[in-house]
Amino acid sequence: MKYFIRHSGKILAVLLLSAAGSVPYCFATVETFTDESSGLISWKAQHPGFSLQFIQLLPDYVRAVYGARGLPQEVVDLMAGYCVFGTIIKNESGDVLGYRVADWRYFTADGQSHPVKTKTQWLKEWQDMGVAFRWSLLPDEQQFAPGDWSQGFTTLPLAPGTTFKLGYQWTQQGKIYNGTFEQLQCAADKSPDE
Amino acid sequence: MELSNNCNAQRTNHLMNKPLIATMLILVLCAPLATLQAELPSPELSHELTRLEPPVTAPGFSLTDMDGEQHTLDDYRGKVIMLNLWATWCPPCRREIPSMESIFQDLGDKGFVVLAVNQFETPDHVFAYMGQLSVYPTFPILFDQDSKVSELYGVKGLPTTLLINRQGQVAYRAIGGRDFDHPRVRAIVNQLLTENDKPLTAVSNVK
Repeated sequence: MKYFIRHSGKILAVLLLSAAGSVPYCFATVETFTDESSGLISWKAQHPGFSLQFIQLLPDYVRAVYGARGLPQEVVDLMAGYCVFGTIIKNESGDVLGYRVADWRYFTADGQSHPVKTKTQWLKEWQDMGVAFRWSLLPDEQQFAPGDWSQGFTTLPLAPGTTFKLGYQWTQQGKIYNGTFEQLQCAADKSPDE
Repeated sequence: MELSNNCNAQRTNHLMNKPLIATMLILVLCAPLATLQAELPSPELSHELTRLEPPVTAPGFSLTDMDGEQHTLDDYRGKVIMLNLWATWCPPCRREIPSMESIFQDLGDKGFVVLAVNQFETPDHVFAYMGQLSVYPTFPILFDQDSKVSELYGVKGLPTTLLINRQGQVAYRAIGGRDFDHPRVRAIVNQLLTENDKPLTAVSNVK
């Protein structure tokens, strides 16, 4: 995949990072990336020692992933009906870092806060549908040692193209931190070139 | 859960206490920065392994390989084992395979083995996938189709890799993709290879 590069933005980020020595620990950058060929967008929040990335996924892609695992069509359609993001969490610090998806919230246009559906909740539903598959979704909670990272799908019951705010939380050195993506957007039902 | 470190809250505190210029700088730095467009790199594979203190006994298992041959953990007792849990749809799993093959090629004759335990996929599917790789693995690919082994080892996400010492204990762990060909990883494996043998721990097999 190829991505647009805007060098001025990167220089600005470096300058701001350099000046951040005495800044409170809450400092974060949020970058967006647009895939040149598909038009799909991803967002990356970079905190000191911690990064979180959300990558738009098309419903057809989600359908293909679960279809290829041989899951029942009912499950494939159910998953593709959600707004799904590839999610990457990295511990870039020298300490133990943890997260719990149950602590995350998304905010819809009406200002309402909603919990993010967890892997445990999905596995229960899949189990009830006779499915033993337990991979692909972002683990509910993890404790990362230095260098550890994880990825998986995050699902939200939102229509294609919906924009929303997401509040996330993590722990580092025994402290709880939180951050916000002010505007994430579910992928449209089709990529722009279709 | 109480939130003790809220970016917006800290920003407000600084607005009350700092001179104008410092306040403006902090306002810029603390707030989520204006969105920047940049190149999206694949996440870099790190090389850090977490030492388990104390090491824990590696649960036994019995799995079949691509040819239907049975492999048990006991078959490899006395060796240093890199137990890698993976799947074809997992991008970092794919990226770390060449580094596993490289270290296996170099240290395989010194008592080191890689066991790549695939999750929930069939040998036919994995065989087709292997044909697309630039480096074809020569270490055993085993099939944990009901994910019992991953559950036994408490694995939550893929890839996860465990280093089992000659005494049959999980000594190191890595969650997420790694560059196993890194000198640091090689040093750890070499250290485990040179450790004195101790009595083996009894284990039970899981089928």
